[in-house]
Amino acid sequence: MNELDVTRRNFMGAAAVAGAGVLLAGCSSKKTVEPTKFLDAAPDGPVLKAGLVGCGGRGTGAVQNFLKAGPNLQIVALADVFQDQLDKCRRRLEGRPEAKITDETCFVGFDAYKKLIDSGVDIVILATPPHFRPLHFEAAVEAKKHVFMEKPVAVDPVGARQIMASGEKAKAYNLSVVAGTQRRHQRQYIETYNHIKNGAIGEIVAARAYWCQGQLWYRERQKEWSDMEAMLRDWVNWTWLSGDHIVEQHVHNVDVCNWFIGAYPVKASGFGGRMRRVTGDQYDFFSVDYTYENGVHTASYCRQIDGCWNSVSEYVVNRGFHQL
Amino acid sequence: MSDATDKRPRRRTLLLIVTGMVLGFIVVYAANAGIVYTSTDVFCDKFCHVHPHATASWIKSTHYTTKSGVVTHCIECHLPAGGIEYYTEKARLGAQDVWGVLTKDPKKIDWEAKGSLEEAGTFTYESSCVRCHSILFSAKLTKKGSDAHLYYQRMKDKVRCINCHLSVGHYHEKKPEEYLETKDDVFDPKNFPTAAEGFTNYTEVLPGSDVKFEMVALPGGTFTMGSPDSEEYRKPDEGPQRQVQLSQFWIGRTEVRWKEWEVFYAQRGSPGKNDPSYSEESTTTGPTPPYGSPDQGWGRGARPAITMTHHSATVYCQWLSSVTGKKYRLPTEAEWEYACRSKTETPYFFPGDPADFTLDSFWNRVFGAKKLPLSQFAAYAGGGSARTQTPSFVKPNPFNLINTIGNVREFCLDWYEPQAYAKYPSTSAVLNPRGPESGEEHVVRGGSFKSDAIYLRSAARDRTQTERWLMTDPQSPKSVWWYSDCNDVGFRVVREYEPPR
Repeated sequence: MNELDVTRRNFMGAAAVAGAGVLLAGCSSKKTVEPTKFLDAAPDGPVLKAGLVGCGGRGTGAVQNFLKAGPNLQIVALADVFQDQLDKCRRRLEGRPEAKITDETCFVGFDAYKKLIDSGVDIVILATPPHFRPLHFEAAVEAKKHVFMEKPVAVDPVGARQIMASGEKAKAYNLSVVAGTQRRHQRQYIETYNHIKNGAIGEIVAARAYWCQGQLWYRERQKEWSDMEAMLRDWVNWTWLSGDHIVEQHVHNVDVCNWFIGAYPVKASGFGGRMRRVTGDQYDFFSVDYTYENGVHTASYCRQIDGCWNSVSEYVVNRGFHQL
Repeated sequence: MSDATDKRPRRRTLLLIVTGMVLGFIVVYAANAGIVYTSTDVFCDKFCHVHPHATASWIKSTHYTTKSGVVTHCIECHLPAGGIEYYTEKARLGAQDVWGVLTKDPKKIDWEAKGSLEEAGTFTYESSCVRCHSILFSAKLTKKGSDAHLYYQRMKDKVRCINCHLSVGHYHEKKPEEYLETKDDVFDPKNFPTAAEGFTNYTEVLPGSDVKFEMVALPGGTFTMGSPDSEEYRKPDEGPQRQVQLSQFWIGRTEVRWKEWEVFYAQRGSPGKNDPSYSEESTTTGPTPPYGSPDQGWGRGARPAITMTHHSATVYCQWLSSVTGKKYRLPTEAEWEYACRSKTETPYFFPGDPADFTLDSFWNRVFGAKKLPLSQFAAYAGGGSARTQTPSFVKPNPFNLINTIGNVREFCLDWYEPQAYAKYPSTSAVLNPRGPESGEEHVVRGGSFKSDAIYLRSAARDRTQTERWLMTDPQSPKSVWWYSDCNDVGFRVVREYEPPR
């Protein structure tokens, strides 16, 4: 896509379909990288109607980000497995002129995403726990809808391949798809990337990635909840739903290192454990050494335990280093 | 005067230029017309290629009989999509065709072999496939198709469109894809394993079926393994020669046939990797359903079972042992060579010189290679066989074994190591050797219907090539049961002799 020729629909994705995410976006151009043009807002045009699948905190936030992105953007439909989650989101959007949600465009249940996709929206925002993403993305692409989807886009190789295949179909349909690996779309990162690719610090020989933070939220199980409900409401603590800490959060930082190095690791060796987590089956710290074909390494550290040293950042190393 | 002399050369020049332009135009036009005409289906069919069946199978194919009525013509697949390559390839293939028409008898050309993946790849162009099929992920693509195309994108330089879509341009008469079916009711108490008393030839009946196969009792003995330095076409891994002593053992008279494999598959086949009961570690798990037709559409029955992995073959032997109560396994490399040689020490187990049979020599290619008696004993590349054959196609060797050297290459128990023999003692005979303790690939012995005569020599060694033989398999992880890219390897079983207690 020509960066200067940004139309309203493809604005959604300067990185467009490559954003089937972390899994697809490989950048390893040897040529001099031209400065990237940024827009401060989406260009004006006819109304674009969005529907949200997954009405939790991030979903509601994603809708607010979407509405802020430019003029004539509307949120018209909501879908969630739980009525209370949907109601909470609807209340938070109430009073916004861009919110055109009616009772008829609110869908509850495991198949709510299908009804939402068929309700006349132009863009689908996917923000459920990641386990469901491949299924939802496939359905949205089959219905030829533009998609914004939160990261991570899958929790296992089968899901990742499903996302990649749907991404290829989206490309064939000329749909705009953006994943929530936002560093790929941030001015500071892109400009730094261009400088480094143009030789600012020479060749990258190593990288470091951190997502070390305090304890994450969790929900204690209520008596009346089924196993499924208890896990869904507590999803950031269950591997099958979230993909675990590396996939769910730390993917941002590892993705940046892959992007700057221009390759994917061929080997990963690491360890992790569980010390303080209250619910679920996930670990709460990991340390992984990623090795790339050319001998470059990325050292990755992530943790969700209170009272420790914290950092969420990435570094690429030449002789010195450059914090991104 | 001066005027006239001045003008004449000028006029001449002008005349020359005009004539040149006209001639040039005619030449270019004629050349273009020639290129266009020699690229038509009619030209391909009538004047050059004397293969009416190719036209007939093309008309039956999905590239002719299309829903939209769009016909894909000969050169759209059989010449590159464009660029200078179009002309260089046209010249190359054109020269080949002219030579063929002038010097060869179309009836003697092995058209079936021309349709094999290896040969088709030399006159079918990837750029032509993707010129039309620019969208790899069409709306109607299945899940299986998506996975395969994702894999193709990653492996573009190694995997070609025709690896999976070989018969799209020319229809292959194939039975509708019959998968080997898993049945639970094949056990029949009427059939019991054959009693194994004494050391004689016997016929094994597969329990739960009426399928039988013959086992030949081979007396123990000492033989020279490997080939002498003086043997023509010898490879370094065939030596140094060693004395090998073997205990008596039984060996299958034929390669394991599809009908035997089918009993195994029916009893041990697993529903698939996605089934919850599936476990590669479990000793009761057998092959998953194959991807496509494992018999290549050549038919099953008495043809040798092919495309199963070395692991599959090993599991087959374990199953066979468990249902018969006898000790079946793959032959060791030494047992295989002993059985193949049948006490001979010559390149073949019959008098004959590989140099006469090989097509790996310019002289033989031009003036023809000798076939007899090799073709009586083996299905091989020069013997007019482009596929596996049933055992009755050839005569047995002196030990009464069928197709040791031809038909399909055969798995052995040993790990492959080029210098394996050097590690055996040189002064005394080594007893029942089993090769190196570990390795990457296994030994494969004998030639196949695809092999040249030089690879049919008793001492010729070969090995599995796991990565290459699974190149097209788009699954992740790849199958442990079936090779996607190897259709000429099978196996035979041996049974160890256990003296009565």
